[in-house]
Formats: sequence, C-alpha cells, structure tokens
Amino acid sequence: MIEDAELAEPPSHGDAGIVAENVTRSFGTVWAVRGMSLVVPYGRVTALVGPNGAGKTTLMLMLATLLSPTAGRLRIAGVDPAEDPVAVRRVTGWMPDTLGMYDQLRVREYLDFFADAHRLSKADRVRAVPSLLATVRLAEYAEAPVHVLSRGQKQRLALARALIHQPRVLLLDEPASGLDPRSRVELRDLLRRLAADGVAVLVSSHILSELAEMADRAVFVSAGQVVASRELSELAAIGAGHQVGWRIRARDPQALQTVLAERGLTGGTLTPAGLELPPMTEDEASDLLAAVVGAGVRVLAFGPVGSPLESAYLALTEEGR
Amino acid sequence: MNASLRGIRLVAAHEFRMRLRTGRWKWLLGGFTLTMLAFTWILHAALDSSRGSYYNGVTIVRDHSSIGPQMFGVLMLFVLGLMLIISPALTSQSVNGDRERGTLATLQVTLLSPADIAIGKLLAGWSVGLVALGLSVPFVVWSLIEGGVGVLSALVTLAVVALLIGVICALAQALSALTSRSISSGMLSYVVTAALALGTVIVYFMALSLTAEQRTARVGADYLSEGTLHHPEDVWWLLAPNPFVVLADAAPALPPLRADNGAFVERSDDPLGSLRRTVRDATRPEDVVTCYNSGYTELDPPGSVPSCRDPFVEPPPVWPWGLGFDVLLGVGAVTVTIRRLRTPATRLGRGVRVA
Repeated sequence: MIEDAELAEPPSHGDAGIVAENVTRSFGTVWAVRGMSLVVPYGRVTALVGPNGAGKTTLMLMLATLLSPTAGRLRIAGVDPAEDPVAVRRVTGWMPDTLGMYDQLRVREYLDFFADAHRLSKADRVRAVPSLLATVRLAEYAEAPVHVLSRGQKQRLALARALIHQPRVLLLDEPASGLDPRSRVELRDLLRRLAADGVAVLVSSHILSELAEMADRAVFVSAGQVVASRELSELAAIGAGHQVGWRIRARDPQALQTVLAERGLTGGTLTPAGLELPPMTEDEASDLLAAVVGAGVRVLAFGPVGSPLESAYLALTEEGR
Repeated sequence: MNASLRGIRLVAAHEFRMRLRTGRWKWLLGGFTLTMLAFTWILHAALDSSRGSYYNGVTIVRDHSSIGPQMFGVLMLFVLGLMLIISPALTSQSVNGDRERGTLATLQVTLLSPADIAIGKLLAGWSVGLVALGLSVPFVVWSLIEGGVGVLSALVTLAVVALLIGVICALAQALSALTSRSISSGMLSYVVTAALALGTVIVYFMALSLTAEQRTARVGADYLSEGTLHHPEDVWWLLAPNPFVVLADAAPALPPLRADNGAFVERSDDPLGSLRRTVRDATRPEDVVTCYNSGYTELDPPGSVPSCRDPFVEPPPVWPWGLGFDVLLGVGAVTVTIRRLRTPATRLGRGVRVA
C-alpha cells in the first residue's frame, strides 16, 4: 500500500499552470472528487489517469471554471477560478469529452464564432482560424458543414476551438478517443509542440496507451483521490516488481511452445502479434527469455503487453486495493 | 460579468443563424402563413355576408367600412392565440437542449457572460416569433383596407402582441434553464402559457363567486331588487395579466357608432372593444347602472341621469397593470435564466449535467 504522504504532491509550484489543493466536489451524497492535490507545470504534458468514475471529468470541469469545488482551492495560471473565472477563461482552453458541435455551422464559421466569443480582434481571428484549421488538418473542410465531419474530424475541430485564443493552460478530456492512428500521432506531436512552447497541458483518459504516447508525467486517480503522481520515466520502475502480461514471437512457433511447455507455460493465447503469456514480473520474464534463447529458439520480439503506464497503473491500483 | 452589446449580438446572431439553417422554421412559418390566409379568407367571407346587419334593434348608419373593425379585432385575437401556441416552442429548449447537446458548456467557458448567453438566446427565439408576427401583417393590412381601424390602432396592437411573445419566450427559456430535460420544459412552458391565457379566467370566475353577497341592490335603471351581488372590483386584477385582456384593453378604442335616430350605441362590431368594456366594467361595483339605450342622447350630457354609468366614459385602463405584470414576469424569467447560467456552479439541479 502506498502511503498518502508519499503520494501527495506538494502543491508548492508558484509558476505552475494548475495547482489543486485538497479539492473536493460532491453531488448530493456522492463524492466525485475527494481531496485531490496535484500540480500541472508549464511546458509539460501531464496525464490524468484513472478508470471511469474516478473523478477525472469532474476535476476537469472545475478547472474549466464550470463547477466550483465543495472544498479546497484551485489556482489556474495563479488565479482562483472561484474569485475571477473570467481571468481564468482568458488563459484556459478546454476540450470536453462530449464535443459540443454546432452541426448547422460551417467549419470556419464555427471557429470564427468561438474566436469572437473569446473577443479576438478581427485581425487575430483572420490569422488564427486558417492557421488552426491547417494545424488540425481541416483546412480543406473550412467551408463544409460541421455535420459532414467524421467523429475524428470533429475531435480535431474541438481541439482547434480549445486553442483558438492561444491558452497557456490546456485541458483535454479524452482527446484521442475516436482518432485514427495518424490523427493520434499528430495530436501527440501537437501537444508536444504546445508543451515546448510553455503551455501547461493536462490530458485525461482511461486509455493508457494514448497517454503513454503523449505525456511527460502521470497523475493516477481512483475513487476521487490522487493515488500517485510520477514522471513517465519512473513508471517502468513502479511496474517492475509487479506481474504483467508478456508477449513473445519466435521464428519457429512450434519450437517456442515446446520450450515453454517444458517450463510449465501452456495455454498462452496466440495472436498475430505473438504468443501472449500469463502475468509475471520483470525478473521472471528475463529468466524465461534467457531460457528460450538458451534452448536455441530464435526470438523475434519479446515485451510486456501494454505500455509502461498500463503496467504502472495496474501495479498502483493493485497496491491500492 | 455583465451583459455586453457585443456579446448579446454575437449570441443572438449565432442562434438565429442556426435556427434558420435547421429548416424547421420554413415549415413553421409556412404553416403559420397558410393558417392565417385560410382564417382571414373565411373571416372576411363570413363578415362580408353579414354587412348591413342591425344592432340592438336599431338600424345603424353604416358604410362599407364597417366590417373592418370586426375583421381586425378577430384577426388580432387569432394572431395572439397562434403566437401563444408557437412562442413557447421557440425557447423552451434553448438552455437544457444545449446542455443535452454539450454546446452550452463550450459557450460558458468563453468570455461570454451568462447575461450575454441568456439575452442573446432569448432575442433569437423572440426574433423568430416576430418574423411570424410579421407574416401576419399583410392580413392585418387587409383588415385596415376594409376601413374603420386606424394605422395607429394596428401598430399599437401589433406592438403589444410582440411584447407578449417576448414574455412567453422569456418564461419558456427560464423553464429550460430550471429543468434538466427539454421535454419537461416544453410541457411546462405550455402549462404556464395556458395558465396565463385560460387559468387567469378560471381563477377570476372562481374568485368572483367567493365575493358574492346577498343584498338589496339596484339592478335596473329605477328599481330595487333582492339578489346576489358580486364584487368584481375586488378581483379584476386576476384577469389583468391575461394576454387577450392586455391586447384588447391596450388597443385604441374605436369611435362610437350612432343609430339612425342619432343615439349613440355600443359597438358590437369591435371584438377588442367588447372585451375591453367587459374587463373595465369588472373594475367597478356591480350595482352601478348603465343607462345607454334608454333615451340617452348626446343632448343628455353624461351625468345628467344620476347613478347612471356613462357608457362612453370608460373606467381607467387595465392593460398597464396587466402588461406591467407580464413584463415583470418576463424580466424575472430572464433573471432566473442568467442565475442558472452562472459558473462556476456551486449547486446543480437534479439530473443536470454541466457538460
């Protein structure tokens, strides 16, 4: 079990994009967020990781100035949204998981409207809208009605909307769901560029492979609480002592299965990517690999199933139980 | 954050543009126009066939124009009735419908204030109602061409209808801000509209019956009678907010008609005037005698017959109270909507999702 004192990140970063201190939010008798504390620095992509119902979206809504905390304190770009929500909105971009599209508008009109709603000058709007459409690869759809866009294209348009006023803090709730592989790569690259420009990016998702591709840090939440907060580079160490699934692929699958059977590993699932093995620790996995190679089997690929983020998440939630 | 002209204009134009692009408005306005055309045509034909009729047994000196007032009055009451049916639908989903579609929150995180959003959306819905009202203008002009009604009367009456459309739209919008489901706010909007249009009448008569007392009263011109006396003067205000009452009472009065014998007679060709007299009479005690058609001529100046009510001197108007109440109701509704749109929200209504 990981101790709370060890997990809680001291919210002492005065220059952080987001600082949450013991933030709590209830809906009647249901506590959606219970004493969350986290820091999202400028220039980094921070992943908010947790299962459905962990409180990710509620936290996002509070950060987006839509909900106020029942208790605790938030500061976004140094401003408390409860005290000055307008100042927070000037510097915050938010992309919800429900996209909120106006299907009757054309793509360009949609962005023009939100540029006006953020009080961009006409000159800034004229410059920003085509540039953003190009950034999210929707320039050729500028005059198309929003309703003809696919789910992924709408997702990209929603991202453009969140960026229309050049926010310093960007909140993305499940941004990659519905995106095709190319769009996911582009989203990752875009977020990396924004972070490099100094934007504080908070991305929430329960699809860990998405987050592993784009985040520098991860904040793990469960049942409305922060379970852990780590750099992604540290996550491999967290997962190392815990059992995760592994996948192996050899030039001669029959020979491989023979060696595995000799070690008591039968019944693995054979997939096009290789043979999936039962969960084991890193030490057990490296012993197995040495034995397979020692037996003369030519191994083409061997590694854990899923990302380090998934492994760490499973490890952390297992410890939390 | 307060309302800004820029924000209101932006939201109103945006909402209006989307309404224009949905296509439903074409059916709505097309149906409205056809209904108006059919109704006006039938009304005109019916009135045309009754030209030269008699009033109160006395032949009235009439000219060709005399179907104008009747046509205008009936038409305006019909237009108001139609608008009361249409108006709730214009805004009864404007807040919770946007919540359900997830678009409201995207507006709320911009620099638009709750007042910008509420007033802008209201103006867009109201504008569609005004477009419908505008489509009724050619038919109103038709009644003006028939004569007997001045342009000022028509303009005042149309302005009152326009204002009442705004009030109904504001009420429906507030209900959409208060309820989580658009179907609930739609139904409630019609209940509230019915309460104003029908409920006030029902409540008035129920309240009137409670004012009944047994006493000796002068119920005719010159005799006493033991009977039941009501006190409409105590409960008239219940009728005041009724949109039909407001419309009829606010419409400028038409000049009185004169019979062949020179006597003034109460107009029976002016539905708005008839309704106005009925409502204004309710503000006076029931035992005051009305003496018209009893040899009363212009040579007998008002007041020469003691205790007689002068039929051509009407009691003070009711519409300022009614329209004032309705407008206050509308302003209150807008205030409620603005409050419900404020963020960050501390409390959410039952079943309400932010995004």
